[in-house]
Amino acid sequence: MLQHIAFWLWDFLGHLHPLAVHFPVALLLFAAILELFTLKNFNSKLRSGIDALLIAGSLGAIISAALGWLLYQDGDYSGDVLTLHQWIGFATAALGVLTLFFLYQIRKKDKFKQVKVYRGLLFSTAIGVSVAGHFGANLTHGSDFLSSTLPWSKDYETKGSDNFRLVALKGDTAKLTKKQEVELNTEVRAILAHNCYKCHGSEKVKGDLRLDGKHVAFKGGENGPVIVPGNPQESEIFKRISLPADHKDVMPSKGKKLAEKDIEIVRFWIEKGAPWPDDGTKQNVFRVAKLEPRNPVLPAPSNNLSNPVDLWTNQYFAKNKIKWPSLVDDRTYLRRIYLDIIGLLPGPADLESFSKDARPDKRALWVKKLLSLDNDYALHWLSFWNDALRNDYSGTGYITGGRFNITDWLFKSLKTNKPYDQFVKELISPSEESKGFIEGIKWRGVVNASQRTEMQAAQNVSQVFLGLNLKCASCHNSFISDLKLDDAYAFANIFADTTLEINRCDKPTGKYVDARMLWKELGTIDNKAPVKEKRKQLAENLIKPEDGRLYRTIVNRIWSQLMGRGLVEPVDVMDNEPWSQDLLDWMAFNFVASKADLKELIYQITTSNTYQLPSVGFKEVAQVSNPNYKFKGMVRKRMSAEQFTDAVSSVITPVFVDSNIKYNPQIRPSFIRASLVANNSFLTALGRPNRETVATSRDSQANLLQALELTNGWRFNSVLKIGAEHWKANYKNTDLLIKDIYLKTLGREPVEKEIKIAKQALGKSPGVDAIQDLFWAMVLLPEFQIIY
Amino acid sequence: MNWNRRDFLKNTSAATLAAMAAGIPLTNLLSSCNSKSNHATADTVILLWMAGGMAHTDTFDPKKYTPFSKGMQANSVLSTFKSVPTILDGINFSEGLQSIGNVMDKGTLIRSYVAADMGHILHSRHQYHWHTCYKPPQSVSAPHLGSWIAKELGPLNPVIPAFIDIGQRFTLGEAEELKAFHTAGFLGNEFGPFLIPDPSAGLESVQPPVGMSSSRFEKRNKLYYDLISKSPMGEYGSDYQKESLKRSMEQAYILLKSPEAKAFDLSQEPKEIYDIYNTGKFGLGCLMARRLTEQGARFISVTTEYEPFKGWDTHDNGYTRLIDMKKQIDGPVAQLIKDLEKSGRLDRTLVILASEFSRDMMVEGRPDAKVQEQVEQPDIIQDIKNYGMHRHFTDGCSMLMFGGGIKKGSVYGKTADERPCKTIENPIVIDQIHQSIYHALGIAPDTNYLVEKRPFYTTPDGLGKPVMDLFS
Repeated sequence: MLQHIAFWLWDFLGHLHPLAVHFPVALLLFAAILELFTLKNFNSKLRSGIDALLIAGSLGAIISAALGWLLYQDGDYSGDVLTLHQWIGFATAALGVLTLFFLYQIRKKDKFKQVKVYRGLLFSTAIGVSVAGHFGANLTHGSDFLSSTLPWSKDYETKGSDNFRLVALKGDTAKLTKKQEVELNTEVRAILAHNCYKCHGSEKVKGDLRLDGKHVAFKGGENGPVIVPGNPQESEIFKRISLPADHKDVMPSKGKKLAEKDIEIVRFWIEKGAPWPDDGTKQNVFRVAKLEPRNPVLPAPSNNLSNPVDLWTNQYFAKNKIKWPSLVDDRTYLRRIYLDIIGLLPGPADLESFSKDARPDKRALWVKKLLSLDNDYALHWLSFWNDALRNDYSGTGYITGGRFNITDWLFKSLKTNKPYDQFVKELISPSEESKGFIEGIKWRGVVNASQRTEMQAAQNVSQVFLGLNLKCASCHNSFISDLKLDDAYAFANIFADTTLEINRCDKPTGKYVDARMLWKELGTIDNKAPVKEKRKQLAENLIKPEDGRLYRTIVNRIWSQLMGRGLVEPVDVMDNEPWSQDLLDWMAFNFVASKADLKELIYQITTSNTYQLPSVGFKEVAQVSNPNYKFKGMVRKRMSAEQFTDAVSSVITPVFVDSNIKYNPQIRPSFIRASLVANNSFLTALGRPNRETVATSRDSQANLLQALELTNGWRFNSVLKIGAEHWKANYKNTDLLIKDIYLKTLGREPVEKEIKIAKQALGKSPGVDAIQDLFWAMVLLPEFQIIY
Repeated sequence: MNWNRRDFLKNTSAATLAAMAAGIPLTNLLSSCNSKSNHATADTVILLWMAGGMAHTDTFDPKKYTPFSKGMQANSVLSTFKSVPTILDGINFSEGLQSIGNVMDKGTLIRSYVAADMGHILHSRHQYHWHTCYKPPQSVSAPHLGSWIAKELGPLNPVIPAFIDIGQRFTLGEAEELKAFHTAGFLGNEFGPFLIPDPSAGLESVQPPVGMSSSRFEKRNKLYYDLISKSPMGEYGSDYQKESLKRSMEQAYILLKSPEAKAFDLSQEPKEIYDIYNTGKFGLGCLMARRLTEQGARFISVTTEYEPFKGWDTHDNGYTRLIDMKKQIDGPVAQLIKDLEKSGRLDRTLVILASEFSRDMMVEGRPDAKVQEQVEQPDIIQDIKNYGMHRHFTDGCSMLMFGGGIKKGSVYGKTADERPCKTIENPIVIDQIHQSIYHALGIAPDTNYLVEKRPFYTTPDGLGKPVMDLFS
C-alpha cells in the first residue's frame, strides 16, 4: 500500500518537471543578462539582485533536475533527444552550484581575481539552461513546434495535419502491439504514397522498384531489397531519404527532401522490424469519411439554448474552452441576413422598422420574411449555383453547339425551393432544360480522354454533389486518395452510350470496366441499360437517404456560404475532418428528415445563436483553411461581385440597363440584378469566375487589377456620375445627403468626424463631381465591402 | 498623405509575404525550393503574336515561288511570294519581310515548330494550347504563360503590372474561347493580364478616370483614406480582406499617378520613330511594348489581334492579304529589335514572334493526320481569291526569337522543300518553347502548385525541357 502511494507521488512530482523548469530558465537567464550590465563595475547596484536570482535559479535547477529524473523513471520518454536533454540538464544544475561557489568566494572572501571564472561559469550555465530547455520543449511539443509556424519552414503548410504520435509509440520500448503496428505501417504507407508512389508505383516503376504494396516493397528493386527489417542503416530506402538535399542519390530525386519527422518515422518503422500487417493494408492510407448518415443524440438544452445547431456549438465550445460571446446587434444581424439570404443591402426603412420591431422572436420572423421573397432569394443563390454547375450565358463551347444553358430551369428550381434530392435528380437524369450540367462543355476537335464529356460528368458530379475529387483518378490511379482509374471509368460509363476504353494518361489500355457506383453500398447500375436509364439509376442511388455523403456535402456548402468557412474545408474535400462531426452529421440527417428543404436549412442556421456570434477576422487567409482552425463565429466575408454590384445599384443608381439582361425571369425588380447579365470586365475583376470549370468558392482578397477597374474603369465611374446627378437633383441639403449616404451604404449614421470630412469634401452646395467622389470613397470602404 | 516609392515597395513586399503565407494555391512541397535561379539570361519577355495562323512558306520559310496565273494547278503552289535574301548567308525570307530579315543577325529563326494535333481545328483551341501549354478543356483553369511569369517573378518595377496584354479585343468572334486562356486560372486574378485592347487609347487605362483632373483625383483618394481612418470599423482590427483591399487601392493609385505611366503615352515618342511603328494597332503595340520595357515591364504580349477570318486567318485571298499583314509587322518588329539593342536592353529582353500554327494550300491538319477540311480549294485556280495558303497546317511553323540569351544569327530546324512542307529536322513543341522561356527567366522547370491536392506544373507533368541549342 505504502509502495503504491509512493509510486503515485513520484509520478506526480515527475509531472511537475515541465512546470518547475521554467523557474531556473527564467531566473538564470535573467541573472546572466543583468550580469552583462555589471561588466564595467562588478559592484553595481544590480549586484544584490543578481545574487538572489542566481541562488534561486541554481536551487530551481537542482530541483528541476531531480523532478526530471522522476519523470524519466515514469517511462514515457526515451531516445537521443532525451539523453541529450537529461545530461545537459544535470550539467547545468551542477554548473549553477559551481557558479554559486565562485560568487561566494568573490563576495565573502573578496577573491576578485576569480570574477572572470565566475562570469564564464554564469554564462555557461545560462547557455546550458537554454539548450536543455530547448531539447525539453522538443520532447513535449515536438521538434518542429516552433519552426513549423514560420512561413519559410517546409513544415509550415502541413503543420498539424497529422495526429500520429511517434513519441507515444516510442515510449513503448518493448514490442509494438498489433494495433500500434497497423498504425505505424499506415503512417509509413502514407509517407510512401505522398512521396514515392509517383515513380515507384503502378504507373511508373523506376529502378524496378515498387513501394505500393507489401510484397513488391520487400522484393526491392534492380539492386535488391531496399528494406532490411530491423536495420535502418542497411536499408537502402532509409539511406537514400536521409541524404542531403543536394546529393545526387537523394530520394525523392524530384522535389523536396522528406521532412525530418517523416524520415524518423521510416527509420523507427524499419528498426521495429518493418511491420506490415496484412490486415493493416485494409486500413486506408488516406482519411475516408463515413458514407452512412448518422443521427447523434442532441445534447440536452442548456444555457437557454434551444436551436440544435447551438446545442452542438455549446458542446464544442465547452470542449474547446471557448466562451459564448454576446450576440451581434440588430443592425449587424439585419445586414447579414439580407446579404446572405437575398444578396441585397437592407434599406434605411428596413433597418428602422427592424429596430422598432418589439417582438421577442423578430430575428427569426425577419429571416422567414426574407426567405419568402422567392425572386430575390433565387436571384441571389443563382450565382452560387451558376459557379458550381458552371452555368453561364456566355462561355466556351456555345460557339460549336457544345454547351447548354440551364438558367431557366435553375432559376425556377430555386424560386420554388425544389427539394434538394429532386434538384440533384433533375440535374443528373436531366430534362432538356437541365441537361447542361451533365452534358458538359464540348470543344471542337479531339480532346484528352480524361476530358471527354462523359468523364467531365463523372468529375463534376463527384465534385459538386459528393465533395470528391475524381480528377486524378480519371487519368491514373490517384495519388491523393484510394480511388483507382477503374473507379473513375466505371463511374464515367454511367454517362456513356457505349463502354469507354480505359485510357491511362491518355493512352488506350485495351481494357474496359462495367458501369458502377463509386460506393457499392449505394446500389447497382445496369451496365447494359441505355445511358438515360443508367443516369436515372445513378440519380436514384445518389439521393437515397443512405447516402450521407450527398447530404453532408450540401449542408457543408450552405454552412460555408453563410459562415464564411465550411465545417469541412475545403468544401470539395468531404473526406477531410469537420471541426464538429456531430454538428455536420446531425444537420445532414435532419436535412433529409425535413424533406431536403434548402430554405429550412438556411433558416435553421441563420436563426441560431451560432450564426449571430460576432464575426471573426484573420490576418492571413491560410489561417481559415488551417486544419487546426477553431470555430468561434462567422468568418468575415467579402461581398461577391454580384452583391457589390447590386448594392451599388440599389444605393446609387442601377449599374445595368435592360439590354444587358441575358435571362428574363419575368419579374419587375427595381433594378437589374448582376446575376442576370453576362460576365464582363467589371464583374470579372470583382471575382466572378469564368465558368469553364466548376467553382465552389471565390477569392475574397482584392488585387491590383480589381482596384484599377474600380479606380478608373469607365463602367463604374459612369455609374457613379449618373448617380451623383440624380442625388444632386434630390438633395439640396448637404447634411441630409451625408446622413442618407451613410444610412444607405453602411446602414448607420455618420459619426462627428466622418461628417466633418464629408462636409469638407462636398462643400456648401455640393456639385456632381464632389458627390460622385464621395460615392466612390464610400463604396470602396472595407466597412461597405465586408460582411461582418 | 505622402506617397513615395519606398512605401510602395514596403507594401508590395508585405503583399508578397502575405501571398506566400496564404499559400492558396499551396506552393507544392515537391517544387524546387527556389523557383528563381541565378542563371537567368532575361528579365523581360515580349511576345509578338501572329494571331490566326501565319503561313510559314509565305513568311519566314519560303519555298519555290509560283506566280499567279489563271488555270494554274493548286498543288504546284508552295509560296505565293518571291524569296528575298536576309542578312544571314543562304537564308531567305518571303518578300515583304526585308526589314526583319536585316535584323536576323540578332536572333534565332526557328523553322520547325510543330503544333499539336487536336483533330478538327479551332483557332482558339490551338491558341489556348500555345499560351497555356495545356489542351482545352481542362478540369483546372490553366494559367496563361504571362501569369506564370507574373506569379513566379512578380513585376520588374512594382508600378508596372507584371502581365500586360496589348491589342486584343474580347468582343469579337470566339471571344469566350479567347477569354478562357487570357486568365491567370487557378493562380488567381492577381496574376491575370492587364488588358490594353487598343494601344492608341492605352493611356486611358493608366490615368485618372476620363474627365477627372489630377488634383480632383488626389483629393478623392485623400477623402477615401480619411474616411477609412475615421470609420468606427477600425475597432475590428485588421484582417486579410481589409488589408488586401487597402493595399490594392494604394497600388492602383500609385500606378495612375506614377511617371512610369507615361510609358503608355505614345504621343511622347519622337514623330519619326512613331511613324516607323505606326503601321496600325500592332505596330503601335510594339512601340508601347518597347516603352514599357524601358520602365521595367515583365511580360508583354502584343497581338495582331485574332478575329475569325481576319488578319492572319486567311481563308481566302491569302496572297493579297499577306501583303498587308507583312506591312503591319515588318517595320515595327525590326525597329523594336533595333531600339532594344541600341538601348542595351535586348540582352535581357527575350522577344518571341509566333503563331498558333501555319497554313498550307492543300493540307488541313498534318500530312499523317489530316482533319476535316474547312476551306474549299479548287484544284485549278481561276480566281486570285483562291491563290494563297488557306488551310490550317500544324506540322511546320516558323518562329523568331531575339535577345535574352538567345543565339544570334542562328537557324534552328528545317522543313521539307516539297509539299507537304513539314518539319524534317529538330521538331520543337510548345512544352519546349515554354521551358526555354522559363529557362531564360530562371524559372525552374518543375515549378508547380498543388491544385485540389494535385500538382499542376508549368508544362504538363513538368516534363518539358528547354532547347539548349537556342541559347548562346
